[in-house]
Amino acid sequence: MKNTTHMGLGRRVFAMLPVRLQPVHLTIFMIIVLGTVLALANSTFLSAYNINTILSFGAILMIVALGQMFVILIGGIDLSVGGVISFVSVLFVLLVGEVGYFAFPICLFAGVMFGLINGLILTIVKIPSFIATLGTGGIITSLAYLVSPRSISASPSDYGYFELIDGKILGMSNSFYIGVATFLTLGAFLRFSITGRNIYYIGSNIRMSWMSGTDIVRNRCIAFMISGGCAAIVGIIISSIRYGGDPVVGTPYVLNSIAAVVVGGTALTGGSGGIVNVLFGALFLSLLDNGLNVVGVDQYFQQALLGAMIVFGVAVTFDRSKTPIIK
Amino acid sequence: MTVQTTFGAQPVLKMIGIGKRFPGVSALRNIDFEVRPNEILGLLGENGAGKSVMTKIMIGIHQPDDGEIQLNGQATKLLGPVDAIKKGIGGVFQEGSLLPNLSVMENLFLCHERDFMQRGVISRRAMVQEARRLMATMKLDIDVTEPVSQFAPAAKQMIEIARVLWLAEQYGAQNPIVILDEPTTVLNDGERDTLFEILQELKQRMSIIFISHRLQEVLENCDRLHVLKDGDNVTQIPAAGMQVADIERLLVGSEFSGDRFRETDQHTPDGDVVFKVEDLGLRGAFEPLSFELRAGEIVSLVGLIGSGKEELCACIAGTKSHDTGTVWVDGVTPAKGSPQAAVRAGIGHVPVERREEGLALNMSVMDNMNHLVLDRLKTAGAIHRRKEIEHAHEWVAECLVKTPTIHAACSGLSGGNQQKIILSKWLSSNVKVLILDHPTRGIDIGAKDEVYRLIRKFSKAGIAMIIMCDTLEEDTGLANKMVVMSERKVVDVLDAAPEHKPTPTDLIKLIV
Repeated sequence: MKNTTHMGLGRRVFAMLPVRLQPVHLTIFMIIVLGTVLALANSTFLSAYNINTILSFGAILMIVALGQMFVILIGGIDLSVGGVISFVSVLFVLLVGEVGYFAFPICLFAGVMFGLINGLILTIVKIPSFIATLGTGGIITSLAYLVSPRSISASPSDYGYFELIDGKILGMSNSFYIGVATFLTLGAFLRFSITGRNIYYIGSNIRMSWMSGTDIVRNRCIAFMISGGCAAIVGIIISSIRYGGDPVVGTPYVLNSIAAVVVGGTALTGGSGGIVNVLFGALFLSLLDNGLNVVGVDQYFQQALLGAMIVFGVAVTFDRSKTPIIK
Repeated sequence: MTVQTTFGAQPVLKMIGIGKRFPGVSALRNIDFEVRPNEILGLLGENGAGKSVMTKIMIGIHQPDDGEIQLNGQATKLLGPVDAIKKGIGGVFQEGSLLPNLSVMENLFLCHERDFMQRGVISRRAMVQEARRLMATMKLDIDVTEPVSQFAPAAKQMIEIARVLWLAEQYGAQNPIVILDEPTTVLNDGERDTLFEILQELKQRMSIIFISHRLQEVLENCDRLHVLKDGDNVTQIPAAGMQVADIERLLVGSEFSGDRFRETDQHTPDGDVVFKVEDLGLRGAFEPLSFELRAGEIVSLVGLIGSGKEELCACIAGTKSHDTGTVWVDGVTPAKGSPQAAVRAGIGHVPVERREEGLALNMSVMDNMNHLVLDRLKTAGAIHRRKEIEHAHEWVAECLVKTPTIHAACSGLSGGNQQKIILSKWLSSNVKVLILDHPTRGIDIGAKDEVYRLIRKFSKAGIAMIIMCDTLEEDTGLANKMVVMSERKVVDVLDAAPEHKPTPTDLIKLIV
C-alpha cells in the first residue's frame, strides 16, 4: 500500500506513470525538446562553435554543481561556493605571477580549507549549513574584495599559465575535459569508496548512520571539502578564460549550482540523486542559458526563468511525505 | 473468548467490531468497547496489545478499517482530534501537549481566544476570570498568568484535563470523555492521591478512560475494566472484587503454547565472558550496576518505563554517555557516549524506532544490508558490485526477507521485512553483543517467529544478546537470564533455563 496523500503533485504524477520514470528522465526529455526547438529556431545553434560553448560552459557549471551535490546529498546546502569562486579567481591571478605553477595547488587547497571550515561549523559548532555557509560565503566574498577590490587583468608575461586551461584539444575547450575528469573522479569516489556510500547513508537517515557507527563529522566535512575544492577549480578555470580575476564573478554560481542539482532530480532533503543527475541538470541549464541568448530573450527575464526552474525541480523531486508541514 | 457485558446505563461511546490494520500487521481485531456515563473505565493491556491504537481511534487520529462508532446511540465518525473534541472526546497524553512558555490561561484557551472578544479585542480580564473558574473546579490554586513551565507535572495534567473539559463544554457535549494515558507515572504519591480525589469528583459530570500499568491503582479507582491482548478483546468486567493477580492472569493470557519462543532451540551458553558492564551508572536514570554475558547468552532486561533499562541500553550502545563505570567487550573498553566506538568494539543495536533509527528508508535492501560490511566487499580498494549483490542475496535468503528484488527501496516493505533487514545488517557484521530493543514490535506473528529463529540461531553461533521485549512472556521465553529492574535499580537476576522459566506473575511482583 502506498500512501500518496502527502506526496505533492509532482511526485504523484510520477507515481502514476506506467514506467518507473525518475525526475532525471524528465530533464533528459526537456533537453531534447529544448534542443530541437532551438535548432529549428536558429541555424547557428547546432554549429560546432556553439556546441562547444554549450558544453564548455555546461562543464564549468557542472563542476560547481557536482560539489554542491555532495553537500546536498548529506542534507545540507553550500551557499559559499560563489564566494570561493570569486576569491580563487582573484587569488589565482595574483599568485600565478608570484609562484607560477604552485598557484594551482594553493588555490585548490584554499577552496578545500574553506569547505573544511564550513563542515566544522556545521558539525562542531552545530549551526545549520544554510546559515553557516551564508555567513562564510559573505566572509569569503569580503576576502576576495580585500585581495582585489576590482577586477584585475593578468600580466601578459603570465599568459602561458592561463593558456594551459584556456586552450583547446580536438576542437573542444579544455574546461570541457576538466569537467569530464572531475565527473569521472567524483563519480568513482561516490560509487566505489566507503566514504561515498556513507554520504548517501547520512543523507538518507543521519540518526541511523550515527547509531550504526558512521563518523558523521568526518563524512560531512568531506562533502563540504569536495564542494570547496570544486568551487576552487571553477575559480581557476574562470580566471584562465578571462585572463583576469574578478571579486564578483562567482555570485551567480550559488543559485545556478543549486538549480543544476535540483533540476537534475536530486532531492534537497538529501540521500538520493547522483552525478548523472547533475550532469543532465547542468547540461539543461547551459542549454537554456545559451538558447535564451541565441533566441534573444531579455537578460533580466532569464533570472526569472531560472528561479522558476528551481521551484519546478523541487516540486518534482521533493519528498513531502517526510514533512507534512513545510517551513 | 466471550465478552461479558453488564447492562446498565446507556453507553456514551460505543465501538462495535472495530478492526484496524497497518501495513503487514493487524493492530485491532473485532473490538467491542463501550464507555458509560459517569464512570472511570480502566483500559488495560501489555505494550502492543492495542491500547494506543484504540485511544488514537477515539480521538480521531486513526480511522478504523472495520466497525462502527456510536456516540449516545448515534452512529458517527471521528475525523480528527478537533472533530473528536467537538463531540466531547479528548485525551491527555504522557508527553503532554502544553506549550511551556505560554501562561496557563493561554494554554487553556489556545486557538479559542475569539470566544473572549469584546468590542473587537480579546479581553484579557475575561480570560483570567474564566481560567480562574476552571482552576477552581479542578481544586487547583495557581496563578493563571504564570507560564506553564513553572508548575509541577500534576498541575500540568490538571490544566490539560481542564482544557479538554472546557472545550467539551464550549461545544455543548453532554458527558464528555477524557482519556488519561498513564497519568500517574510522572506523579509522586501525594500528587497521585490528589489526582484520584479530583477524578472521583469529576466523574459526576464526565467519563474517564484511565490507562495505567499500575494495576493496584487501577483496581482501587476504576469502576470497570476493559482488557486487551494482542489486538483482541479479552474481557470487560466490573472492577469491584477483582484482585491484582486476577488481572495479571487476564493480561498475560493463560494459553502457553509449548514452543512459541523456540525454547527447545535454546542454547545454554558455556563459552567465555564476552561482555561486562561494571558499576555502570547514569545519574537520574539508573544506579550503578554490573552484569556480564557469555558468548551466545541472551539476557533480558525487564522493568517498567522509567525503570532505567532504556537508558542502560543507550549507554551501552553509546547513544548516551554514562557517569560512572565501564563497558567491556572482549578486551576492549569503548569510549563512552560514542556509537562509533561501541560499534567498533562489536556492540550492535537494533532500535525500537526502526523507520527513524534503523533504516535508510529510501535506499535499497542491498544498501541497508551491506552498510556495516562494505570493507569486506572491496576488490583492490573499490567496492565491488558483484560482491555487494552476492552478500545481499545471501542474507535475503538467510533471513527470509520478502522483497521483490534486492534493489527495492526499504520504505515499501512491511515492518517484519524491515526488521529482518536491520537484523541481517548487524548479524552479518562482526558484532559480538547485540542489543535488541523490542525486536518484534508491530510485526505479525509469522515475522515474529522468524525473528525468534534468527535470535536462536545466532545465539548458538556465539553472539551475545541483550533484549527488551514487548511482553513478559517474550522476555521470559527468549532469555537465558533475566535482569529485573525497578526504580532505577537491579532488583533481581533470574535464571531462565528452558526447563524452569520464571512465571510472569513472579516477575510482575518484582517489577512493580
